[in-house]
Amino acid sequence: MADEEKPNRISRRNFFKIVGVAGAALASRQLLHGRPAAANRPAIEPAELPAPPAKADADILLRMQEELARALKKPPAERRWVMVIDLRKCVGCHACTIACVAENKLPPGVVYRPVIEKEIGTYPNVSRLFVPRPCMQCEKPPCTPVCPVNATYTNEEGVVVVDYEQCIGCRACITACPYGARTSDFGYTYTEETPVADGLILGREKADDYERASNFEYGKGYDRPGEHGSPIGNARKCHFCLHRLHEGLLPACVTTCIGRATLFGDANDPDSVVAEMISKPNVTVLKEELGTKPRVYYLV
Amino acid sequence: MKSEPNIKKIIYLLGAAAFAFGLWGFYLRFFVGERMVNYGSYVVWGLWVAMYLFYGGISTGSMMIASLEYLFGMRLFKGSGKIALWGAVVTMPAALVTIAMDLGHMERIWKVFFQPNLFSVMAQLVWGYSIFMAVLLAALWLVIRLESGKQDARPWLRFVMGIGLFLSIFLSGGVGALLGVNASREAWHTAMLPAQFPVFSLLSGCALMLILLGWFTPADEKRAQQLRVLSIGLLILLMVKAYYLWVDYSQALYAGTPVASEAVSLVLFGRFGWAFWLLQLGLGMLFPIVFLLFTRFQQNPFWSGVLGVAVLVGIAVARANIIFPMLSIPELEGLAHAFTGPHLNYDYYPSLMEWAVTLGVTGGAALAWLLGVDFLPFFKTNSQEVAQ
Repeated sequence: MADEEKPNRISRRNFFKIVGVAGAALASRQLLHGRPAAANRPAIEPAELPAPPAKADADILLRMQEELARALKKPPAERRWVMVIDLRKCVGCHACTIACVAENKLPPGVVYRPVIEKEIGTYPNVSRLFVPRPCMQCEKPPCTPVCPVNATYTNEEGVVVVDYEQCIGCRACITACPYGARTSDFGYTYTEETPVADGLILGREKADDYERASNFEYGKGYDRPGEHGSPIGNARKCHFCLHRLHEGLLPACVTTCIGRATLFGDANDPDSVVAEMISKPNVTVLKEELGTKPRVYYLV
Repeated sequence: MKSEPNIKKIIYLLGAAAFAFGLWGFYLRFFVGERMVNYGSYVVWGLWVAMYLFYGGISTGSMMIASLEYLFGMRLFKGSGKIALWGAVVTMPAALVTIAMDLGHMERIWKVFFQPNLFSVMAQLVWGYSIFMAVLLAALWLVIRLESGKQDARPWLRFVMGIGLFLSIFLSGGVGALLGVNASREAWHTAMLPAQFPVFSLLSGCALMLILLGWFTPADEKRAQQLRVLSIGLLILLMVKAYYLWVDYSQALYAGTPVASEAVSLVLFGRFGWAFWLLQLGLGMLFPIVFLLFTRFQQNPFWSGVLGVAVLVGIAVARANIIFPMLSIPELEGLAHAFTGPHLNYDYYPSLMEWAVTLGVTGGAALAWLLGVDFLPFFKTNSQEVAQ
């Protein structure tokens, strides 16, 4: 056959393809395992070229990944998880919102991290501001003391969590939150109104399986059964993707931020990027006057 | 107990119709769930919470009125105590059922008793109302004993009524505190709110008693005197309430801080501003104040009932106007449009199911009161010797 007679050569196009795929695979593996890309680089002779500062060179995600691995080696009570959102870098793509919905399988009407859009100024001096709003994980949360059954509380890592099996669904915590950061799960699914046409489209019955399969919030499997079981009927909120953190992964909103506007880490680690950022003069928090001491900071 | 037969028939009929309508609402609530409500994640508490405050206020207010005979032994109010007490007994379950409907997991209510956070105002209220209900039933049992001639019940009744009066004041204030502890809701976060609510409860109790005495008790000289005193009491309480309304709203508007003034502006000029002007202010306050200034309306049984209904309608609207507008203001500017979905709405109006449950509970309470008055034996005795 003509094909067999051809020498086994790699065309230039295929070569670039292979290099690209291999590079992407290597990068993703390094991402997943928390090893910065610079870790295996050969040492550069200082006499020839000055060594670039590694932190500046590496993708900030890799640095945060490394810091996360470092923080997880500490006892939980010694970690202080903090999120820093650089409003100058946020482009309003809503990737964080979508990633959060996908990661936690949030149903319609439940949102942990909406992005508030504001239009500032009047023509011709107009600009737009995008403010992602996760749970502020307040150090003094107004939402926890109002709970009649201690279903919501600050865990030892400083994250405000909800015990879905304990929550009675009174929504007092939602009322108390000054940031509107909690929503109630009324039991909807995105696929319930979609048509059924087997063989033609991915109809409701097939698509529904995905929505009903477990999410892994708080490290537990919460599926969405037909009957009224938690988290349906509960107050729900952002938990800094604790289930990912404990597996050595950054929160979903952080890894998907295309502008690297969302930073995350242990503020008790003086070498962490978040510790560095929250000491800047341009850092602020929402509704500072309330004294809730949010652990979500904004760079403006 | 003799009464106006036509009014009683009408109330029986209306109560039964409302209760039947409510059964449909209960069916939906239990078998479809909370999807058919219009409150959600932004307007977190809706009609049922407002009605919980309303029925709770009537019950605690009726307890205050009942104490006039059973605790303070006022001869003028002889015979009215059991009417008020029975009113408190039927309206407290109405409050508890309504608030239970509002829970996302009402099957877990036992956790508030066995795994409570007693620093939570809501937990304190659940415990307080449960104790209050037990006190009401104990007082009722003692009254039945007293009505059957067992005088040994009298000191116990006074003791129980003393506890009941104390609880009725604190629980009334407690619902104000339930709202007031939310520091970020500026219009709620004032010590005035818990301080005002016991007055509102007493007003509710007075209004209910005008209805019950005016429409469902036999005409005699004592009833005329009771109606007159209660009418004057109602008139004074309405004026105090009007003053509270003035200080609340004028201070919020004068200060002009957006969060407080926005809530008041919504009440006065928002989509349901007509409910404030026509029902809360016009029907619930001005109409009874004007009529009660005339002596002949203070003793007229029919008009006493009409004015009592008007005041209660006004109080119900006032409860709604405390809850909904404050929750209708986004916590952060732009949040309303940041993400859309079911129950993510700052524009609240109760759904048909919410109305059905509310009407059902109201109808059920009305029927329970009438059936008790008509069939419980202790209502057929003469209470001349009860008060001393």
